[in-house]
Amino acid sequence: MRLPRFEYLEPSDLEGVLNLLATQGDDTKILAGGTDLLVRMKKGLLKPKTLISLKALNELSYINEEDGCIKIGARTPIADIIASDLIQKEAFALFEACEKIGAISIQHYRGTIGGNILQDNRCIHYNQSEFHRSGRQPCHKDGGKICYARDEADRCNSTCQSDGATALMALGASITLAKKGTERVVEIANFYTTDGIMPFAMESSELLTEIVISIQGGKSSYKRLAYRSAIDYPIVCAGVFLSASDTKKDEIEDARIVVGAMGRSPLFLVQESFSLKGKNLNDTEVFKKVADSSMNSASTFAVHNVGSTLEYRCVMVSEMVLQALKGAAQAVVAAKG
Amino acid sequence: MEKIQITLNINDKLCEVMVYHNDTLLEVLRDELDLTGSKESCGEGVCGSCTIHMDGKPVRSCLTLAMEAVGTKIRTVEGLANGDELSDLQQSFIDHGAVQCGFCTSGMLMSADALLKNNPKPDEKTVRKALGGNICRCTGYAKIVEAVAHACNPQDDCPDCKTDSKVRE
Amino acid sequence: MSKKNSEFSVVGKRIPKLDAAQKAMGRAEYIQDIKVPGMLYGRILYSKYASAKIIKIDISKAVALPGVHTVLPGEDVPEKMKMGFYKDNPPIKKDKVCSFRDEVAAVAAINPEIAKKALDLIEIEYEEQIGIFDPEKAMEKDAPLVHEHTKSNVLKLPWNIHYGDVDKGEKESAFVVEDRFTTTGVTHCCMGTSGALALFDATENLTVYTNTQIPSLAQKDFLETLKVLGLKNKRVRVIKPIIGGGFGSKLDTYAYEHVAILLAYKCRKPVKIVFDRVEEFKATSTRQPTVTYIKQGCDKNGKLTFRDIRMVLDNGAYTSWGATTPTVMMMPISSLYRVKNVRYDAKCVYTNNTYSQAMRGYGNPQATFAIESNIDMLAEEAGIDPIEFRRINQNVPNETTPQDFKITTCGLAECINEVEKELKSGTAKEKGVGVGMASLIHVGGGARIYKSDGCGAILKMDDYGKVDIFTGGTDMGQGMDNITAQIVAEELGLSAEDINVVHTDTDICPWDVGAHASRSTFVAGNAALGAAKKVKQKIQEFASKFFDVPAKEIQFKDKLVFVPGDQEKSMPIDKLLRKAHFSQNGTMLMADYFYDPDNESFRKDFKCNLSATYTFGVHGVKVKVDEETGKVEVLDYIAAHDVGQAINPLLLEGQVYGGVLMGLGYALTEEVVQKNGENMNANFRDYKLFTAKDAVNIKAPVFETADEAGPFGAKGIGEPGCVPTAPAVANAVYDAVGVRIKDLPITPEKVLAALKEKNG
Repeated sequence: MRLPRFEYLEPSDLEGVLNLLATQGDDTKILAGGTDLLVRMKKGLLKPKTLISLKALNELSYINEEDGCIKIGARTPIADIIASDLIQKEAFALFEACEKIGAISIQHYRGTIGGNILQDNRCIHYNQSEFHRSGRQPCHKDGGKICYARDEADRCNSTCQSDGATALMALGASITLAKKGTERVVEIANFYTTDGIMPFAMESSELLTEIVISIQGGKSSYKRLAYRSAIDYPIVCAGVFLSASDTKKDEIEDARIVVGAMGRSPLFLVQESFSLKGKNLNDTEVFKKVADSSMNSASTFAVHNVGSTLEYRCVMVSEMVLQALKGAAQAVVAAKG
Repeated sequence: MEKIQITLNINDKLCEVMVYHNDTLLEVLRDELDLTGSKESCGEGVCGSCTIHMDGKPVRSCLTLAMEAVGTKIRTVEGLANGDELSDLQQSFIDHGAVQCGFCTSGMLMSADALLKNNPKPDEKTVRKALGGNICRCTGYAKIVEAVAHACNPQDDCPDCKTDSKVRE
Repeated sequence: MSKKNSEFSVVGKRIPKLDAAQKAMGRAEYIQDIKVPGMLYGRILYSKYASAKIIKIDISKAVALPGVHTVLPGEDVPEKMKMGFYKDNPPIKKDKVCSFRDEVAAVAAINPEIAKKALDLIEIEYEEQIGIFDPEKAMEKDAPLVHEHTKSNVLKLPWNIHYGDVDKGEKESAFVVEDRFTTTGVTHCCMGTSGALALFDATENLTVYTNTQIPSLAQKDFLETLKVLGLKNKRVRVIKPIIGGGFGSKLDTYAYEHVAILLAYKCRKPVKIVFDRVEEFKATSTRQPTVTYIKQGCDKNGKLTFRDIRMVLDNGAYTSWGATTPTVMMMPISSLYRVKNVRYDAKCVYTNNTYSQAMRGYGNPQATFAIESNIDMLAEEAGIDPIEFRRINQNVPNETTPQDFKITTCGLAECINEVEKELKSGTAKEKGVGVGMASLIHVGGGARIYKSDGCGAILKMDDYGKVDIFTGGTDMGQGMDNITAQIVAEELGLSAEDINVVHTDTDICPWDVGAHASRSTFVAGNAALGAAKKVKQKIQEFASKFFDVPAKEIQFKDKLVFVPGDQEKSMPIDKLLRKAHFSQNGTMLMADYFYDPDNESFRKDFKCNLSATYTFGVHGVKVKVDEETGKVEVLDYIAAHDVGQAINPLLLEGQVYGGVLMGLGYALTEEVVQKNGENMNANFRDYKLFTAKDAVNIKAPVFETADEAGPFGAKGIGEPGCVPTAPAVANAVYDAVGVRIKDLPITPEKVLAALKEKNG
């Protein structure tokens, strides 16, 4: 499979990348690991005129602990995150998520955490060959006005299947977006547009440079369901963060539940998360209720477009949330001793 | 857009080659340099048949631009043997019956070689994990997994390990 | 065949595959790697509809594109050119398309990029028609016809048998169980995609490099193509490059091969067509999807009284040789276990789906899924342990089945015992864990589906004691090369490295019907053995004069020709060969042999002895079912087979392991998802092959029943690994959690839904 023609640029530093982004416009794409972008280009899903490679930007590859935060350069390979003791200790959900991305020799060395966050939404009707798509009216994401996943839908229903994004949202991470002369920090929960066509609230002149996770003394867990234990994207996933009260060690102080692969973005379930405050860490019955409620909340967003059946994926939300809740709760209990 | 000349370091040799910006490394290896040992089976980074090493790490050459490979050290399956002397891993693949149709073999070898460089005596689970991104349709993987696990760690009770041959580090 | 394993020098040895080093060094040449001077790249344009009339085709823009040598629309293809078992499939369609896979035009250009661009410039106006995608619905009276000239979508094929009296058998039954089972389309997924390179020489003789399992039959098909082109008395040479996997996917000739020939003829230049992965998924075939209605009964002691099966097969839009799979399904239906009263009726039905074809097992996996799932149900109904139930009904040696299959050796009993031992070992039953088993019968001594089941071999020896053997057999990774070499080496007292197996070229190699029906070890093996025996006899005759002893006293071992017990009368074989060669009236040692097994074609009632011997096996599996997610995890797998004699245990294990994993995919994960005839998962991400991480280790004990007819006692073992896998898993899932999944694949969502229904 040939790639369409483009111009390849390889700036030597961040400033160079931002300068180019400032002048190049929408036809330019950033090339990090290429494991998502190049596949889409081969399928003719996008045909940028220019690719700006981050190859020379080693300055964006790091994992540091700074001011009570974990800071991760956006171009850090997945493999480095898996290997990081700091991540394993303080952001276990991210470790679990990264371990499950693709397979070692596909994603782990080339694929980057920034690329995983910016992995485009997917849909079984959209992620098809150019020829397959040429035999029908284009869908919303393909520049048309039809949705093949949901009849009569007036907008794109593609699904965000990023493992990393779901875990990071549960960890309450924020990201830094830089553009020439300025940068801004956005909570990852606010980074998504709920627009399947352009799922990310960023400008074409912006570059994702850093991920920041504040160390909050809690524990996290990420669970996902896929047919196979390698290669596959999740058909349902859940990230959970739990922390315990300093005074009452069995009591949940803060909770965040995020469900992924069920909608246009990872879904931060505010109500369910809030409902856990003050509950006992060992109360599985409460977890089950919250998991079922999560299923009801998340199900309204999902369409049948990433394999399996919709019914099954909805039921599995509850199971994944429950597993992640248990995983995080056990870790909190273990840490408290 | 015109072709431009780049220099690639492939199997410890510098090669000058004319490429388009949109050429993948796999296309350049196969079509320009006649290094056809790396295979295209899916073309989209799933099956692993095109796996090569870039600076010692396994990567998909079908999802790597030739331009990105400039300044890196590339190793392909043709560069695993020392002349005609097969590497322990290659020999182990042969001895354990890990090669059937052979189309996935070069990619398997490259993923496995990268694993063994860091972990010469991996257990079965580690091997299966490291090969998780390489698809094989012939073997059911069992003999491939065995070949990798035993390559540098021959087992007395394995009928296919040549424990009497040279000691494998 | 009284020789024991320990008495063999080469047979029975774990000799690595002869071309393994080439492959491990990246030097093996596949069709993907072959380039010849002046070669053009061909590419095929496919239909955008499952069913449509072609109103207009405009190729002018494509023709005008620089770099394009020729564009071939359907109207340029001779009317008479048709492919397949029914000759109902033109390589490029002219007026009408009947599936998404239909070829509507082709181009040849100087590079793949231009070829692709040229396809984009071909303008076709279609008039979409209503398609039919469900084979059972396609049988209904008012269903739209896939091919208008036929009166019905049901193919006129005589696939039915009735032996004994099924109705009487049912009346006499104490227990009867009936049900409906379905299997879906799965596909071969050869890692090396399909491809062919066609070139004509100056006198219009044709050479085709192609991935094929049937070089001699392909040669015949290509000759017909030449004839239609008006090229009479021309030669066709078929060369097989190293094949990146077969599994039945190369048992017909295909549009891409004929199109490459047409393009090469039109341009008078070599043209190569190689599929990309999407094309491989969309433009190659699936195993026949089936709907099976089965009813079986037994008496109060568990003895089978009858088996009654009705089956509908989704043929797809055209008819490959795969339409004959019901004749192989008849084998397990009539002859797996002892059952006197058997009835089977199969209908192959046209639909607008992709056409189905041969795949490892050739119908046997579908039939065995229904039979063996249903056997467990019947055993339960009768209150008999499923292992015991099978033992009551097991096939035994030296017995003729209702279909007239003459079972000679049969190790089914031993296989059942071995699997029982494995399944009953271990700890007490855990929650969600269960075991299951299923048996198989398969042709192990060829199968006379074609009018000859033969294979030729030519053997020559050189002055250095080396052998070149030119065989009709085909290696596609399964190890036919080793089997041939080891058999010849054993017979001539040589080592396997001394044997060069040439199996790649119809100009050099004799005829063979093809690498199918698990027949290569048996048939190509016997052909090689026959040639080796002839040469051996010649050497013996020569040495007899030389040593002055009767010819039959002369033996061969360790590269020596010798008279046992007489140290004086011994000579290295190469020296003896030179003596024969470089003497007055010298001679070279050569021989040819054509082996056609002693098996029979179907008679009118489909009775015959289809194969010269039969392979038996029993698979046992232990699974764990996650009752929260419905996921089935395979914990242990044992596949015990009666193989006659393992010529090479290393490669035999490879066939079993690979077959079983393919079977597990069939059981659990694999499915070509077709939405109104369109393949929706045409890539390795969405078509779920097992990865190394998901695969399990498999135990593969063999029983060597030393079959008289087999070369050194061997039977075929290429396909059995994937035959009883799915029912074994289905039975284990039932044992684990009490739900029976009757529709493959056994996906988590099906298991969970069934659990929900069961638990209310």
